[in-house]
Amino acid sequence: MSLTDLRDQLAARLGRDGIVTDPAHLRTYECDALTGYRVVPALVALPRNAAEVAAAVAACARFKVPFVARGAGTGLSGGALPVADGVVISLQRLRRVLEVDPVDRRATVEPGVTNLDISRAAAKYGLYYSPDPSSQQVCTIGGNVAENSGGAHCLKYGFTVNHILAVDVVLPDGTTTRLGADAPHQAGFDLLGAFVGTEGTLGIVTGVVVRLLHTPATVRTLVANFDSTKDAGDAVTAVIAAGIVPAAIEMMDNLAIQAVNATVDAGFDPDTAAALIVELDGPADEVEARFADLTRLCAKATEVTIARDAEHRAKIWQGRKAAFAAVGRLSPNYFVQDGVVPRTRLGEALTRIAEMGEQAGIRVANVFHAGDGNLHPLVLYSEERGEHERAEALSTAIAELCVELGGSLSGEHGIGTDKACSMPRMFSEDDLATMRRLRAAFDPEGLCNPGKVFPTPRLCGERPGPYRPHPLEAAGVIERL
Amino acid sequence: MRPASLAELRDAVRDTRGTLLVKGAGTAQGWAGAPDPTDHVLETAGLTGLITYNPADMTVAVRAGTPLALVQQELAAAGQRVSLDPARAGATVGGLVATADSGPLRHAYGGPRDLLIGVTVVLADGTVARSGGHVIKNVAGYDLGKLLCGSFGTLGVLAEVVLRVHPLPPASRTVSIPCDAAEAVKHTGRVLEARLEPAALEWCDGELLARYEGVESSVELRAAATPGGTRLSTADAEAAWRRVAAVGDGDLVVRCGTRPSQLPAVAAHATSLTSSTAVGVHTLRVADVERLRAEFTQVTVLGNKPGVPAWGEPHAAVPLMRAVKQRFDPEGRLGPGRYRPWF
Repeated sequence: MSLTDLRDQLAARLGRDGIVTDPAHLRTYECDALTGYRVVPALVALPRNAAEVAAAVAACARFKVPFVARGAGTGLSGGALPVADGVVISLQRLRRVLEVDPVDRRATVEPGVTNLDISRAAAKYGLYYSPDPSSQQVCTIGGNVAENSGGAHCLKYGFTVNHILAVDVVLPDGTTTRLGADAPHQAGFDLLGAFVGTEGTLGIVTGVVVRLLHTPATVRTLVANFDSTKDAGDAVTAVIAAGIVPAAIEMMDNLAIQAVNATVDAGFDPDTAAALIVELDGPADEVEARFADLTRLCAKATEVTIARDAEHRAKIWQGRKAAFAAVGRLSPNYFVQDGVVPRTRLGEALTRIAEMGEQAGIRVANVFHAGDGNLHPLVLYSEERGEHERAEALSTAIAELCVELGGSLSGEHGIGTDKACSMPRMFSEDDLATMRRLRAAFDPEGLCNPGKVFPTPRLCGERPGPYRPHPLEAAGVIERL
Repeated sequence: MRPASLAELRDAVRDTRGTLLVKGAGTAQGWAGAPDPTDHVLETAGLTGLITYNPADMTVAVRAGTPLALVQQELAAAGQRVSLDPARAGATVGGLVATADSGPLRHAYGGPRDLLIGVTVVLADGTVARSGGHVIKNVAGYDLGKLLCGSFGTLGVLAEVVLRVHPLPPASRTVSIPCDAAEAVKHTGRVLEARLEPAALEWCDGELLARYEGVESSVELRAAATPGGTRLSTADAEAAWRRVAAVGDGDLVVRCGTRPSQLPAVAAHATSLTSSTAVGVHTLRVADVERLRAEFTQVTVLGNKPGVPAWGEPHAAVPLMRAVKQRFDPEGRLGPGRYRPWF
């Protein structure tokens, strides 16, 4: 059986306007927001509901054709990169908010609903959906579930996985199930928690039940300028050590601020070496007491600006969240990196990154979630000047530096295609083989978003990543046969 | 068998044949189905102590056999805690993950799955696998730690656990609102709408308890602002929270998850009940589990009662649970009898 047969079956089930076959149109699906990797799919399916998603997956399973789910395509790690001769299943037509329940504080939505639209639908009840990736105006909740997306306010409130109660899933054989339940207590092991963040490799989500929180009583936000990123980093450490859990602590260096100022008038000082945005929220008296502590802990700041009102605060966040896109003003091309280091090694990480950038002759801007050590170095380069390879190598080296410092390859953007070859830096062969057991339980045929997360010979060469002895091997406990 | 290191644990699993029962402090041995007699009992009591703890990173790595109380003691010296308060005194960290157990703090902090950031596990064939890491924010690779939450020793033997920690609150105050289950649902809505942000909100046998944590002036103000609430003295508050923990000491105890507003319907089955009212997780003593199961699906029996099956009708995800079990422990070595009749 062939792709032609599959196309005919999908056209019969989804209708002529339910599939895309025109080569020019197919090209719009060739990449996500990691534009360096491009593959034109054989076919795109545009189902309208869960039953059509299940039918599309079942057809792919029958013909043993690989498929890749796609939301808004805002992913930064190539998680939605199509497979050649495979099918892309777009969830863009499943965008209904099915229920907002103010009594039990939850919303039931289809996967193509944007992150921000959930909060908009909940706003009339004084509720909102907490995780707030910078792309929240366009990214979809289905994509958030796949990537376990974070955002600036995750420091206090947690990530996507902490805010999802249940998901309806089409499994890779086309059958459907529900993971999770009406409450966090699940009869059984936590398959929901294991599923969230698997980057679309275990199935396709067709329905999501999210927790909604009451908007906080009080929000206070300040912007503190510092003479160096080190001073700013020290202030972060002092705040955490004082037992304060801010809703968010973000840092931007001078280069990032220049970029933001060229795009949004958020009032950031163009001459400061680094700025922190710190936000506290909660009951008024709690926030006021902690805010006083906070301003004291920013003693080394050259200037502290406190947001005057909600409008001013919104402007500050608009500037911060526009940072990635704004960097386009400084440089024709750039890579967004997403490593994590233990908070206590922030200063060391920033120094090393600056040195590495200097050595490579490449500028690196920094804008990141300082409170949880999640760095977003922006590696600026010019394709035209032939800097691509040098910049890519630097970007990879930065992610691997984070692992070396005891952190992680990715805090919120995912491994996808981008970092699959770096996985052996962080995990042993046994670790990866154990993760693959979970994948095989869901997808024994390996049809669901293949080639992502795990290193493959095709992507990484015959030896995926540099050899590194397993800790047990290094200790002489085990031998490599 | 009582291994004293990760390597010894790995050897104990790899170099033996036959079935294995994992045992921590033994405080929940009967949960989720009585285990069959096994060829070996693997005790984690030799795997204790903190591995790494750097307070400024707000994470702690511990060996799985470490009692949570011991971890709390070490952390308190640095002004921190693991925000997990299960009723079971003496339980080990590994046991709490394997049973997915939690207490009233689940209202603000969730359960083990929400605090767990890394694990090292030994599989039935002796494979040593790690997932997650030592940083709070991390999406690299699959999160095997979550999978092990509620696995009751059937998928692997937990060796090491990395947890996120929180600052110890400088002050705490509990208020009590006497009310029935239906009123408790309404009071819960009022407390949340008033944005009072309790750390715990628990209805136990005719009384809604709201515990506030934070700076002293703030917890007192919030206590005073609680609609219908009476401020409890520290001694009375401790007694009230002990009553919450004691619900689990009953003859036949179950934990059940529902929409929060279904509390009255759940309470109708109970002779004694404590519920995180905003979350919808209830722990209750019942006379008849089958009647409860006829109405609710997410029910776990805590403790053995001869003649009472630990699990009811398989729900939609049970086939996937079986598929995962097959991949992780194809020979069925680990915890036979647990999850019967599903496994």
